[in-house]
Amino acid sequence: MTQQDNATTASTNATKTKGTTAARSGRLSVPDLITIGVFTALYFVLVAVATLISTVAFVGFASIFLPAIAALISGCVYMLLATKVGKFGAITVMGAVIGLFLFVSGHFVLSFIASIVFPVIADLIARAGAYRNRAGLLASYVVFSYGLTGPILPLWFMKDAYVASLQARGKDAAYIDGVFSHINTGTFVISMVAIAMCALVGGWFGQRVLRRHFVKAGIV
Amino acid sequence: MTDDTNDIMNDAVETTAIETSRVTFRYGSGGDGAARDEPTRHTALHDVSLRIRPGECVVLCGRSGCGKTSYTRLVNGLIPTFFTGELTGTHHTADLASGSPVDAFTPIVGSVFQNPKTQYFNADTTSELAFPCENMGMPADEIRRRMAETVRRFGIEPLLNRSVFRLSGGQKQRLAVAAATMLRPPIMVLDEPTGNLDARSIDELHDMIARLKESGTTVLIAEHRLAWCRDLADRFVVFEHGRVIGNYPARDFLVLSPETIMSMGLRALDIRPYRAVVEAKRQTSDSLHRRDDETASAPALRTRMLRIGYGRRPHGFRPFGTRPKPGDFLRDVPDLTLRAGRITALMGGNGTGKSTLVRTLCGLLRPIGGSILWNGRPVKAHALTRKAFLVMQDVNYQLFTDSVREELMLGLDENDPAVGKRCERLLRDLDLETLADRHPMSLSGGEKQRTAIASALMCGKELIVLDEPTSGLDRFHMRQVGLLLQRLKRAGRIVVVVTHDEELAADWCDDVIDLDPVETSSSI
Amino acid sequence: MASHPLALDPRTKLFMLLLANLLLFFHVHTHTEIMLVALTLLPMLPAGRWRMALRLGVTYAVLVAVSYLVPADSPNPWLHLLALLAVGLRMMMPCFITGAYAFSTTRTSEFVCAMRRMHVPETIVIPCMVVIRFFPTIVQDYRQIRAAMALRGVAEGRFALVRHPMQSLEYVLVPLMMNAANVAQDLSVAALTKGLGRPGTHTSLTMIRMRPLDWLTMIVCATPLVLDIIGVL
Repeated sequence: MTQQDNATTASTNATKTKGTTAARSGRLSVPDLITIGVFTALYFVLVAVATLISTVAFVGFASIFLPAIAALISGCVYMLLATKVGKFGAITVMGAVIGLFLFVSGHFVLSFIASIVFPVIADLIARAGAYRNRAGLLASYVVFSYGLTGPILPLWFMKDAYVASLQARGKDAAYIDGVFSHINTGTFVISMVAIAMCALVGGWFGQRVLRRHFVKAGIV
Repeated sequence: MTDDTNDIMNDAVETTAIETSRVTFRYGSGGDGAARDEPTRHTALHDVSLRIRPGECVVLCGRSGCGKTSYTRLVNGLIPTFFTGELTGTHHTADLASGSPVDAFTPIVGSVFQNPKTQYFNADTTSELAFPCENMGMPADEIRRRMAETVRRFGIEPLLNRSVFRLSGGQKQRLAVAAATMLRPPIMVLDEPTGNLDARSIDELHDMIARLKESGTTVLIAEHRLAWCRDLADRFVVFEHGRVIGNYPARDFLVLSPETIMSMGLRALDIRPYRAVVEAKRQTSDSLHRRDDETASAPALRTRMLRIGYGRRPHGFRPFGTRPKPGDFLRDVPDLTLRAGRITALMGGNGTGKSTLVRTLCGLLRPIGGSILWNGRPVKAHALTRKAFLVMQDVNYQLFTDSVREELMLGLDENDPAVGKRCERLLRDLDLETLADRHPMSLSGGEKQRTAIASALMCGKELIVLDEPTSGLDRFHMRQVGLLLQRLKRAGRIVVVVTHDEELAADWCDDVIDLDPVETSSSI
Repeated sequence: MASHPLALDPRTKLFMLLLANLLLFFHVHTHTEIMLVALTLLPMLPAGRWRMALRLGVTYAVLVAVSYLVPADSPNPWLHLLALLAVGLRMMMPCFITGAYAFSTTRTSEFVCAMRRMHVPETIVIPCMVVIRFFPTIVQDYRQIRAAMALRGVAEGRFALVRHPMQSLEYVLVPLMMNAANVAQDLSVAALTKGLGRPGTHTSLTMIRMRPLDWLTMIVCATPLVLDIIGVL
């Protein structure tokens, strides 16, 4: 092989390398998908922990505060994933995979839809800040946290069903309204506001951990 | 029987399987891969030229960070596509130039990596074997045929249809080799495959590679533990600082003096002298443990009729005593005496319960029967946890804070000047002073180990156990661990080292305890 | 690797999950729900999950009993709350039962194969494979970290996690995430060298096939729902 050959191959190598760097900023690569998978698994475990906590703390109506508690503890995982991959799609895919697993493990199908719609919006917000802007990431995390409201939705069906069954047994609407006056919109509003509050705290905590540990250690 | 593409490939590369000419590579900053590796910024490969013939077995050796791993990455195409950076020169693996997508290398190069825990992608063994074939789009019948052939070839029937998580390190590594050969690649690359295997697993791995070699596969092994592959190698290529500094035919390399080998940062070519020393130490320590002098002055940890084990759930509730269930482990341990100021090596093959024993000694597991005595008095598990410290094999789990200094001060009163002084002294003693403000996770493996030990000394731990502290370390780093052990010994600690490393045990440990295989009870 | 002659295709299981969800959408009568629950418990038996079937079946029966036994005209709001809870949980049961069945009887390779057959993009399939692969690692890591914390006297004891929640969370999560980042890299290397990123069709060793039994199950399970909706039942 002549010297000239060497030179040309060397230069093609250089361009190829550049090519992959360019590819990195665009579509999700296999390593990106694997990173997403690993952190989604962690997130999923935290959701399970949140389920446990909310079951212990709010017996019976566990799922109402599930998204809030999950939002409180999963900030680190979210921030690390969003920063590490730093491409459009990572957050969406994470949401979709969580939705899929929720569905397959017997959660309501609407939770699947919620866990796609909210992450897509969250992904768009994070992208607007180029996955760097702290406020942007925080806002995106708050939106993302609503993706877990899916498992709560059946509560409405349940109430409707129970009301229907009472009506069928001859009770009038006024009486029924009285029974449910205190477990109605109030609870709903509280649980929704709680998600935002918890997500803000959790996201802030996550960003602090990210800075203190992962940026300092050179992981991101 | 290879498929057609492979045959064509073999024809094309009759004279050279791998050809590298004047390759220089420097890892890019912050790439997918570069972040974690120690030798990030410096030149990983420097003007490397190599030519490897088909069917040759070449051992790439040299101290850690010498470039041997980077060279394997060049061969299997991970450099420069996954591990990005600046690459000059030309490299061809078979007829593929480097810079081709990693996928293109899949049917040509089979790769086995160092860490058995993280190199399989599927949770069960059969899927892992089928995985490369599935990715190549082979029909199921063909995959099944190949799997049967591979299983027969390597005798790995017992590994089929199992959860990979239940396999031992050695079994995982054999599975990794088998999976890497499913596509019948003409070239195999193994990067420190014996990192942390016991002698028996290494023998089994050796036999698999011998079989590959017989079938004409080109085999590249990056390794600094040379004893196991001395009879396999046709050639030894020595790397240093990214350069090839020696390229020896096997017969020339094997006659080099042990001193020369050591000076290259390599582990011994011949392990037998070390084995003899270990055996001698084992016999004298046996007698030592039989002599029952309760009055000895040095503080000591003794075990009496100790029975150790664990259930599937390590701290599970056991209302009915010690009856083992499937998946449980249970064994009796001969009485031990561990003294302050002595370094005891705890050896024995995988599955003899070494880890269970040290976890029990550290109070992380409760003994199932018998007792543990501290200076003659029985101690409870939680009291042991306060006296003992375990440096885990994966030390990453035990570093919690964001700087080395914080790590030492964790849980202590930061405003107490005496504590602060002690911390500074320890930092100095363990050569951590210049690293005091770094994040522990940004340190090298040895530095992390020292940080963990410093934190243990800060809390005044008296029993220090190290679990496989030299796995995957070259000669130089093993010596550093040895020196650290000596320092702990001088500080009057009880030092226990769980290890397969005969060189470490022979050179640096005082006593050797060989935990014999379990006879008394079940392990499923 | 011949599967059990009575085992169902993952896609059939998915269909059953959808049916269970549809029960929630359309306010079906309780007797339709009971029929469907009985039907979904059946396939657990040949899969050897009779204990699970029994447990879920008994739970469901108790919930049905409670929701019927609470008198509709009771003035006690707590009794209504209990009944509401029972009705709520009862309505979730079909989903949980089919979910438990699908989850416990489907091997990873079948699940992956089914996803690929249904043309789920690799962007979803790969993370799903990794999630399943990584779960056990998280459990092992967590145990190691707790042991390390005990040795350092950090967050010792049962209640420490409750007393300093955020601090403990940081101590547990940081090593977990550090390890996760490392594993992600090693898995990427392993997967890339084994050709996971190759374009083109990826086949599967595991065969999944829709058999007459699958179609039959789908029809039988759908019948009560359809009859209920059109008002026959």
